Amino acid sequence: MLKFIAKRLANYVVMLFVAVSFTYFMASAFMHPRSVYESRTPRPPQDSIERTLDLANLNDRTPVLERYWNWLTAIVTRWDWGKSPTLESVNSAIAPRVLASTELVTLSTVLSIVLGVALGIYTAQRQYKWQDRMFMVTGTLFMVIPSAVLALLIVLMAIAVNDTVGFRMFYVTGLSSYTGDDIGLRLLDFLQHIILPTISLTLLGMVGYHLTQRTYLLDELHADYVRTARMKGLTRRQAVRRHALRASLIPTGVNVAFSIASVFTGAVITESIFAINGLGRYFITAINQSDINASVAIAAFGGVCTLTGALLADIFSAWLDPRIKMS
Amino acid sequence: MSEASVSANASAPKAAPESKEGKKEVKHLSYGALIARRFFRQPSAVVGVVLLAILVLFALFGSSIAQWGYDEPDFLSLSGAPSSSHWLGTDPGGSDLYALVVHGLGKSLLIGVITSVATMAIAAIYGTAIAFFGGWVERIGMWILDCLLVVPSFLLIAMLVRAANATAGWIWLVIGLTAFGWVGYARIIRTMTLSLRERDYVKAAHFMGVGSFKIILRHLVPNLASLIIINTVLGVVGAVNSETALSFLGVGIKPPDTSLGSILQTGQSTIQTAPWILLAPSVVLILLCFSMQLIGDGLRDALDPNSAAGGKVGA
Repeated sequence: MLKFIAKRLANYVVMLFVAVSFTYFMASAFMHPRSVYESRTPRPPQDSIERTLDLANLNDRTPVLERYWNWLTAIVTRWDWGKSPTLESVNSAIAPRVLASTELVTLSTVLSIVLGVALGIYTAQRQYKWQDRMFMVTGTLFMVIPSAVLALLIVLMAIAVNDTVGFRMFYVTGLSSYTGDDIGLRLLDFLQHIILPTISLTLLGMVGYHLTQRTYLLDELHADYVRTARMKGLTRRQAVRRHALRASLIPTGVNVAFSIASVFTGAVITESIFAINGLGRYFITAINQSDINASVAIAAFGGVCTLTGALLADIFSAWLDPRIKMS
Repeated sequence: MSEASVSANASAPKAAPESKEGKKEVKHLSYGALIARRFFRQPSAVVGVVLLAILVLFALFGSSIAQWGYDEPDFLSLSGAPSSSHWLGTDPGGSDLYALVVHGLGKSLLIGVITSVATMAIAAIYGTAIAFFGGWVERIGMWILDCLLVVPSFLLIAMLVRAANATAGWIWLVIGLTAFGWVGYARIIRTMTLSLRERDYVKAAHFMGVGSFKIILRHLVPNLASLIIINTVLGVVGAVNSETALSFLGVGIKPPDTSLGSILQTGQSTIQTAPWILLAPSVVLILLCFSMQLIGDGLRDALDPNSAAGGKVGA
């Protein structure tokens, strides 16, 4: 088992290195931090532009390989992910934003897993009945609806509710606005902020679990061993709970392992609609300011999260299914 | 199980006399006609087709009944509510929202369809090729696919599109969405090809000296046609979603051009003062994606020989 994990881990580290390097070269080819200064009015003196770009290791007159080497050695030796074109450190900008993203996404991830799987189990046992059809239609709707549309419609509804009740029940921007010391009020304030983005993320996230769990459980419900269990005298409920459900939770578990990664990278659209300063919003700011180092750092962080999820999924499925270790 | 057998028994006596009386000639149905019949038998698929047809007609001819062009703002009505001269109201710049939605729908459809077709073409050829050649080609090919999946593709697309499209416009959006959108599909298609490459007719073609690429294009890709068609239709939903997201974030389509995503972006800033700006593109987007999904699901059932869309015996 340890050898299997070590082999996978080594492969993932190489992959991450190649992918992040590729991202660095792509970002360097397509982003022009020089334009940030050249488009300013009044235009800064040429020497000052060159000096700033040199300091940030972003000068496009330096060969890209040299810049890449400087960037790489800084990361390996000092864990320094570089500077933005305005010479702010990327390291110190990322940490608080990861925290904000985590705050935002954790609750909705847990909710979408629990609600989605529960709904999948419920509908699978009522295949083609009206409950199944109804949830299927609403599920399909939430699967195809662009996340921006859903979030904006939720904001619209919340504003209407606020207008009707006459005071601010829901806040539509940020994660907190209370500045006092009272714990209860602070919690209430946090809930008032977090509830709308959580609803929007949960509705979008639970569809995947609902539909896949329904399919997995339906596959198992028609398997021979479930019929055998029924014939041995188990009630339908017992057969489902003790046999079919357990087997059908394995692939869902793998999916859950993958989705843990997305907790830290946040949700770009939701963050920008609800004005939450998370990693996703930071990324959009970064590419709009031609901030090569920040964009690559975010991409690298995303890559680490993806591969951690993949490794978790590997371990999880190897632990449950001994055949995988052999191959 | 038991329900199915009961209903089969019940319908058997009813069906029997009919088949005796009507000694009709057995009509030959071409494969296409069979699929079409199975497709249109499903009410949800028909609803999808009708919705999509209306939207396409709206995108093509909607501008001819409009009183305003999408690029001629009416400065006397900024953020105006829906009225007789501006059917859906106007945005803060005075542009007629009806004209904007018609134009944006056309652009979103165009981008969605082109991206989806291009994505699936690349994925089909790459996926079948690496599975067909096997060995080290497959290993390296898969490794490249995994590598491209490491960094979230949305980030790469946003980077490429934002940087490149300042001058070239929506073509770059299509290129960006295609360049990083095909990876997941290629993996699926490779898995499907693994069983196909062992089939006798593929081996026979190989031993007769047919070139590898001819085998891929003549034998492997057509055998995956149903999967590819379904994924192309459903891929439109994904492409429209990505396009909306990028344009909404201000990274995709830029003014003066417009798409449904960029109208949403305008609408977000005026959500409290002029909510109608938000509603029209939202409704159109939901209808577009929903109809595509219904059509895709309908096609899947029509092309799947085991599905219930085959109808009952005799039909």
